[in-house]
Amino acid sequence: MNLRALLKGWKTRLFLFLAVVGPGFITANVDNDAGGIYTYSLAGAQFGYSLLWTMIPITIALVVVQEMASRMGAVTGKGLSDLIREEFGFRLTFFLMLALVVTNFGNVVAEFAGVASSLELFGWSRYVVVPVAAAIVWLLIVQGTYNSVEKIFLLASGFYVCYIIAGLLAHPDWKAAAVATVSRPSNIGIRNYGYLFMVIGLVGTTIAPWMQFYLQASVVEKGVTVRQYRTSRWDVILGCLFTDIVAWFIIVACAATLYAKGHPDIKDAADAAQALRPLAGEYAYLLFAAGLFNASLFAASILPISTAYAVCEGLGFESGLDKKFHEAPVFYWLYTVLIVAGAGVLLIPRFPLVHIMVLSQVVNGVVLPFVLIFMLLLTNDKELMGEHTNSRGFNIVAWITVIVMIVLTLAMVITQTRT
Amino acid sequence: MSLVALSELLGATVRDASGTVRGRVREVAVAPQEHPTRIAYLIVRTGEGERMLPAGALRACGATVRTDSESSSWERYSASDGVLLLKRDLLDQQIIDVHGRKVVRVNDVELDSTPVNSHVVLNVVAVDVGARGAIRRLTKGVVPAFSLRALLERIPPRVIPWEYVDLLETDPARRVKLKIAYEGLSRLHPADIADIVEDLAPAEREAVFETIDEEVAAEALEEIDPKVQVRIVESLDSNRAADIVEEMDPDAAADLLGDLPEDRSGQILKEMEPEERQEVTQLLEFGEHTAAGRMTTEFLAVDETAVVDDAIEALKRFEGSREALATIYLTGPGHRLVGAVSLVKIATSSQAVQLSALSEPYVACAPDTPEDQVAALFDKYNLITLAVVDEHGRIAGIITADDVITMLRHSD
Repeated sequence: MNLRALLKGWKTRLFLFLAVVGPGFITANVDNDAGGIYTYSLAGAQFGYSLLWTMIPITIALVVVQEMASRMGAVTGKGLSDLIREEFGFRLTFFLMLALVVTNFGNVVAEFAGVASSLELFGWSRYVVVPVAAAIVWLLIVQGTYNSVEKIFLLASGFYVCYIIAGLLAHPDWKAAAVATVSRPSNIGIRNYGYLFMVIGLVGTTIAPWMQFYLQASVVEKGVTVRQYRTSRWDVILGCLFTDIVAWFIIVACAATLYAKGHPDIKDAADAAQALRPLAGEYAYLLFAAGLFNASLFAASILPISTAYAVCEGLGFESGLDKKFHEAPVFYWLYTVLIVAGAGVLLIPRFPLVHIMVLSQVVNGVVLPFVLIFMLLLTNDKELMGEHTNSRGFNIVAWITVIVMIVLTLAMVITQTRT
Repeated sequence: MSLVALSELLGATVRDASGTVRGRVREVAVAPQEHPTRIAYLIVRTGEGERMLPAGALRACGATVRTDSESSSWERYSASDGVLLLKRDLLDQQIIDVHGRKVVRVNDVELDSTPVNSHVVLNVVAVDVGARGAIRRLTKGVVPAFSLRALLERIPPRVIPWEYVDLLETDPARRVKLKIAYEGLSRLHPADIADIVEDLAPAEREAVFETIDEEVAAEALEEIDPKVQVRIVESLDSNRAADIVEEMDPDAAADLLGDLPEDRSGQILKEMEPEERQEVTQLLEFGEHTAAGRMTTEFLAVDETAVVDDAIEALKRFEGSREALATIYLTGPGHRLVGAVSLVKIATSSQAVQLSALSEPYVACAPDTPEDQVAALFDKYNLITLAVVDEHGRIAGIITADDVITMLRHSD
């Protein structure tokens, strides 16, 4: 094969890839939301490089689960809540959707809190910032088309590069970090309660129920077909890789500065940015703050709409942005209430925010096992998936992943409710 | 006559002639080959496995099902493609509501139980898509049956009569057995069919387009979003796709085929009738092989009130190809083409002469003029340039003689 033919082959492949890229990449990136960034910062600040080993297993788990959702979307052309309703009946779907609304509401609140705290670093009042952000989110989704919104989201995903640059500015010990990433975890850590808690936290923030609903729905919306699926898989894999590389840099940045200089206590993601200022310099601080704002606003744009779609499809209400308000009232009301209430509670002085967060985490932990097990059952259903059911090897990895995820998530719920 | 909900019937205990409990209802089956709405049998889970209880032997239906036949006479249940299983095929699934013109999800199914002699006859009458069915299923077994009934009666029903229900079945063989022909859907306005189809999953869209009449399919397809159009046609086999494309407006058909991968559009064209194929093929090449495809938009046009001096100034500023300068076009109000002056005339006239006075008869063609006709015009009128004019008489571009030579050289 000559060079021109080779180039042409690559061009076609690149073109095929660009036709399906989006859903997987976006979903994986939204995973690094305000809560995720805080967890990674804390892991680096408290334990230095010693938790970097979790990144590889976390990436594998993320890829395995996301791949199933994306494959289901491509093969069936239906959303996850549609499939759950069709296979597992009304009652289960109803309670699952109820729980999804509760846990996602908590997440929406957390994202708007991230928007508020990141901009408060620049001295902007939350009483201005939060309502404006809520209005932007509402309008973006209602006025935009799938294609235009996807482009904005991809841009937001690219903006996570902030954290990689911040990591570079922190001048970490690259060799130590690289070794810690691939080496076996040390035994000392296992007996340390705080260390274990942190491991659970890291894994627990990785896979959330809403991601599976969102990913599958956007694969369907984009119209990815079975034939394009092979290429679409790369969208998922590259998305997960990029996401976890970003996470790695966040941990490394905080490890090289906060941990090394003995500042293990940070209260939230904005606090981490603040603490970086004297240690890693003005630019690292700005990048951390801007990254947090981007991540929070990004996730706040996706969560409400994804919830509205999942619930309405599962319960059989009219849904879709191509419908008018009076044609799909439940859809629009749910979407609007999630945004208005999610942003609104941040403006109430002395609102028990912590309790909402804990409740949301608990419900999240309860919903996740159901969602993951349903996904495994569905992807093994021959009638539904035809020749695209899980292979034996994949099933083994997937079941192990799912069981570990469930155990760790439940452990996180238990530890969180105790503290 | 009284109504029974499918969700009440499922799980109901079955008592035989002696009043002994023999099992519980697991499924309710309709055999469309025999009767479109009548229940053929109930599948009962008994101690000895799943049995078919013939509906003709039912004495009462409700929370308890009574029959006058002996359980030993019930045949063992074996799965069959030819029956519609109400729980599996209908409950929680999506259907097309032909009356409401949309895709809806089934919450419950309403059966009518009418006493005939000493037996009851069960018929499917409607599907419930509203809150009544949802709450009934949510509270089943949790709230006592009588208080539930009282509660449900207060909720306004949202049901779709069975004759307005079109089922979605993706297996073509089963569609035939179940007599699913999308007759109701086919009677809708093509734009409504298009809206409905866009709400379906790919396999279901394919099912609809495989089944409905070609003419209806063609009209509906024209109304569908181009991206979805392509996916639907790609999923059909070439023969069926050709049948539908033939019925489409040639314009729309050409647009659609142009969006398909070349090998696929080739296959479909091959399957089409020669006459339709020729028509579409011509249009398919519109753009590349028409006047519009050959023209350049870099040309020189000045207002009809200009004088020779103005034209020379314009010539100096012109940055397009030299060939395009052979003729200077004159435009009137609204940029309509009103005249043409050859470069020679300008070179040989004094500076203050009005260009409109030098104007000579000009030739123009429409953007969709095929290229062989373009060449013919050049030949007949000995042209150096030809203006391409849109439907409002505005000049859209020009074709120059050198373009025509290239075109002719490449056409064989």
